[in-house]
Amino acid sequence: MAKEKSSDFKVEFGEPVGMIAAQSVGEPGTQMILRSFHFAGIESAIATSGLPRIVELVDAKKRPTTPLSTIYLDAKASRNIDDAEKVAAKINEVRMGTLVRRIIENFAKGTIKIALSRQELESEDMTPRQVADRLGKLLSLEVAVEGLVLTVKTHTKNLKEVRAVRVKIMRSVISGIEGAGKAIVQKNLKTGEFYIISAGSNIEGMMGIEGIDKSRIYTNDVFAIYRLFGIEAARNAIARELQLTLDEQKISVDLRHLLLIADAMTASGSVKGVGRHGLSGEKKSVFARAAYEETVKHLINAAAFGETDQMRGVTENILVGKQIPIGTGSVRLAIKKEDMSKVKP
Amino acid sequence: MAYRSDHEIVPDHEILKLKEVNTLLDGSHITIDNLPKILESDPQCKKLGAKPGHVIKIHRSDNGHSYTYYRVVIEG
Repeated sequence: MAKEKSSDFKVEFGEPVGMIAAQSVGEPGTQMILRSFHFAGIESAIATSGLPRIVELVDAKKRPTTPLSTIYLDAKASRNIDDAEKVAAKINEVRMGTLVRRIIENFAKGTIKIALSRQELESEDMTPRQVADRLGKLLSLEVAVEGLVLTVKTHTKNLKEVRAVRVKIMRSVISGIEGAGKAIVQKNLKTGEFYIISAGSNIEGMMGIEGIDKSRIYTNDVFAIYRLFGIEAARNAIARELQLTLDEQKISVDLRHLLLIADAMTASGSVKGVGRHGLSGEKKSVFARAAYEETVKHLINAAAFGETDQMRGVTENILVGKQIPIGTGSVRLAIKKEDMSKVKP
Repeated sequence: MAYRSDHEIVPDHEILKLKEVNTLLDGSHITIDNLPKILESDPQCKKLGAKPGHVIKIHRSDNGHSYTYYRVVIEG
């Protein structure tokens, strides 16, 4: 009975599901408000939300404006705050730039003096010696320590080279994972489980850390997921992110519309946006492409290469005023070329 | 040659046997080129050792609704 009923709701042949999906997402999209929400502890992480986030996802931007990762922990660390903090410290990205209070180059001697900030060192729980050792290893240069002051010998008096070393120092990652951003421990109030959120999306790097639950690591960066877990995971991530963004704005769109969009974006095996450089720009029909954007470019190219248009899509048929191939219009009388021989005259 | 996924966001992938590919395509009006694609360099393809021309069966589950999806492996 239930099965019978459910089959009544199946999509009919010729139903323009893509158009329905586009309208179902587009209409509530007009009601979205520009609002941002904050994360306790990460002052920099104000997640992009609402329409800008939808646009970012649908256009398949290589990197989200505000990357965020959720790192769940293994059985031991997820119950104990100290263990969780230890894992977070391994992930938390600290760049030299944040630890430096003052940096002075001595071009005559070819040395660079760095005054470290005591406050920053304490908050990252590091000693000047640790910083010096790490820096020396990264640059393969000699680093002397005196109180809070580090002295780097560059072995050159060339102005440009000394300056290049300075830039390298400021950018070097002293602890944590490059591209992981600031990581802090959060607690799930319902289950009492500890987990980490970080303001970066380098989940490839985070996978190497001990104590994390590798089967649940997640980021809002679709391309990071695609690289690490493949196209099917990317498809799931696109749909999930779209739904999260819409839910946040209290807009309910049926998941199947979002899944269709995600399927269309990943059908080629890689993640493609829907715009000019993605799905719309790769349509087979010349007229459909010309009707979208860069009309003249497409028409001239088509003329130059002698392209043909099969006139099978919706756009090109509207353009010439013919019946569009959806619904009852999609029925055609057709025969395969190889079956032509079977036809008796 | 089924392979169980080790991440909640990755569905199970499986290489389809040639016989199964034929029954799949015979029962429909599509050719193998019409199937959605998956790149040979895809992490899941590498785990399975799939080569271009193979069809991957994917055991999807959306909102508790389970179904299968197919992708053909292409170069890249």
